[in-house]
Amino acid sequence: MAMRIVWHECQKAFKSPILIGLLLLFTAFNVFVIVDNSYFKEELKIANQLVEKYGRKITDESLLQFEKDLQDDLTALKEITGQEYQSVYDFLETLTFEDQNRYSEQEWRFIEQLQLKEMYFSMANDIDASYAKIDIQKVAEGTIAQSRLSGNAEKTLLREYEKFSQRFEEMKQNGEHKEWFFAGKAYFMHSFLFKTVFLHIVIESLMLIILSTALITNYEFENRTQLVTYGTTRGRRLMKDKLGASVAMAALLTTFILVATLSTYFIVYDYSNVWGTSINSAFNWEYNFPNIAWWNLSIGQFLSGTIAIVFITMLLYSGLTFTLTTFVKNSYIAAILMATFFVLALLIPGFMPTSSNLLFITSYSLSLLVLNTASSFMGSSGLIMFKNFEWMTTVCWTMITFVLCIFSLKWFHKKDIQ
Amino acid sequence: MRVLWNELKKILTWKMLFLLVLLNSVLYFFLIEFDIEHFPNGRPALDSYNIGIEMIEKYGTHMDEEEFLDFKQAYDEQVKEADQYLQSRREFVEAGLVTYEKFKHFDRDNEELNALHSKVMFEEKEVNTFWELQERERLIEFYDMKDELRGYDNAQQKQRMEELIASKKYGVYPEVVIMNFRDFIGNVTIAILFSVVLVISPMILKDRSRQMLALQYTSKKGRNLFKTKILAGLISTFSVITALLIVYFGVYSLNDTSMYFDVPINTFIGNASWYDPTFFQYILLCVAAIYLIGFVFGLLAMSFSSFVPNSMALIGIQIPFIVGMIIVIGGPLMRYIISIWNPQWLAPTVYSGMIVISVIFIILLWRREKNRDIVL
Repeated sequence: MAMRIVWHECQKAFKSPILIGLLLLFTAFNVFVIVDNSYFKEELKIANQLVEKYGRKITDESLLQFEKDLQDDLTALKEITGQEYQSVYDFLETLTFEDQNRYSEQEWRFIEQLQLKEMYFSMANDIDASYAKIDIQKVAEGTIAQSRLSGNAEKTLLREYEKFSQRFEEMKQNGEHKEWFFAGKAYFMHSFLFKTVFLHIVIESLMLIILSTALITNYEFENRTQLVTYGTTRGRRLMKDKLGASVAMAALLTTFILVATLSTYFIVYDYSNVWGTSINSAFNWEYNFPNIAWWNLSIGQFLSGTIAIVFITMLLYSGLTFTLTTFVKNSYIAAILMATFFVLALLIPGFMPTSSNLLFITSYSLSLLVLNTASSFMGSSGLIMFKNFEWMTTVCWTMITFVLCIFSLKWFHKKDIQ
Repeated sequence: MRVLWNELKKILTWKMLFLLVLLNSVLYFFLIEFDIEHFPNGRPALDSYNIGIEMIEKYGTHMDEEEFLDFKQAYDEQVKEADQYLQSRREFVEAGLVTYEKFKHFDRDNEELNALHSKVMFEEKEVNTFWELQERERLIEFYDMKDELRGYDNAQQKQRMEELIASKKYGVYPEVVIMNFRDFIGNVTIAILFSVVLVISPMILKDRSRQMLALQYTSKKGRNLFKTKILAGLISTFSVITALLIVYFGVYSLNDTSMYFDVPINTFIGNASWYDPTFFQYILLCVAAIYLIGFVFGLLAMSFSSFVPNSMALIGIQIPFIVGMIIVIGGPLMRYIISIWNPQWLAPTVYSGMIVISVIFIILLWRREKNRDIVL
């Protein structure tokens, strides 16, 4: 019986053409964003080939083997060009415009492949040197100076960086950074997936969830049917079903967008051999500082973790919207307020004194968690680098949401529904 | 009149005004504050701003050859000043950096020199000379290139650039102020767009979902009330935009850019435009554009409000329009409204198209309203 009511409540949302229309529009937009960026997708195959040929881990032996194969390739290049080169780059430098037509398409493909392989080889060779240069202490000082931290906040952050510096040594010892992955500085695949694509997913799901939750929760008041529905046997307990329906809709909408977007992403970009690569791989180094997670996570694990975070957060947002709509009694205002609070949560840490730990406490918010998926689980993410950031935020906000939902349900029991 | 007044009261309720203030405070800190708080944003932006003011005070809004020579002379004198400063400091003399020329081209691989260089550039904030010299060099460089055609994509752009050079409208004044204004006005437009949509959207739907139409449309005023509602909506749109513009431009005045008001847009570096307003006229143009966008989205909100079934659909249907608008506000419709990098016809066409569409839309809805069955 209760299940059937939940089902009917759900129908109120997904029988609304606007919601379905938006869902399809958003999905189409995501597909466009992914395909639009895919001009280099063929080049990504090289990283997969490297894993296949030399194994996931970069060892001295495998590098030696790689070097030998490169020498063979250079000999092949000599056969094509008739001249000997130390590196394919030397060849490309001496290349003139007229020469370009001298080689067939197949030969060009070979040259391009060789060029990419040389790039990966030189990056792999540089790993030790560039990681030796990293001084976590300096990074900590830089972060503190940049955010003008002092007092307790400074102490807290320094303590966390000390832990992180141990983790960094441990990571180097494990050789987690010596695994093949797409060259980060060339393709920015980590940022593209976890920043751009996930940002789209998060914002879009959030909009749909706020709308559908506000619609379901306030449906009876908006359609003037409250006196009928809340006067039945089920009565005001109907709110429980509405909460259930809202969360179910949130799960459904998020799943749809996630599945549609990510499956397009992985069809377009070939990840087949790099799922097991560690997220800490030196090739995943994109900006000033490499991506270094607190745990040894593979790309697959990191992706699942991120999906879990997004999914849970979206359900929590549905619960929070439900509470707000119950209190505000106006779905229009509730939806606007919810969107405003989402942005407000991003701003609050900026208003905190830079000497107090409140700065960090207020950054444990769902908005920051879900908008920073590229640096979740990471120790290299500035002021939200804390090891417990992800699970603490999720657990705390789950509790807050539970309490608020129970409170609003209780409150509704005594509310005047005229 | 009384009906109109009452309709207005229904739109601009206390609750709505509170929500408007909340939304705008959040958007202010999220989007706009940066362009006010951090202007000029660091060095050499600050020096650029100061030298620009100096140029305007000394040479006015147009710089001829003679005045430019004077500007160059000022640079030479400052170089001498820098030489003296370097010679007066022991650590620089010891490191061999005794002239500005040597200081400028110091050996970047030498860590000791690097440290000295960054000490005087970044740590000793009271030393302006070197930053100013750097900025002056840049300006002189731009002045020297004033007759050259910089890149262009098509014939019209080339023609316009040649025209500008022929009429001696060279891009030689520092561009920090105009760049800052662009960021500011783009974000203000976004805030105002959200505000208008927020205030106007629920008005017509509210009456409908409360089943007021049966009462309203059978009164003496009858279905003409729809027109009064539209009028009330337009007046509210105007009030909201005006109030917000006053507040935001009040905040903008903190940036203190009034000295630049008489400088023609085309004489800012890298700002070739299709028309030649002064900076102040350009601000007025942007304000006019904001009113247009506001009215178009006000009218659209009223149109949607007259036929969507519920407030969820009301918000949902407007999301694609708002997102699309925000994208073009960042480009040809606001930030780069008369820039040469967009076709000359683009902004006027899009604006008139938007106005025509929104007006037609509302007329169609009025026709529909006249014949509508209100019992259902």
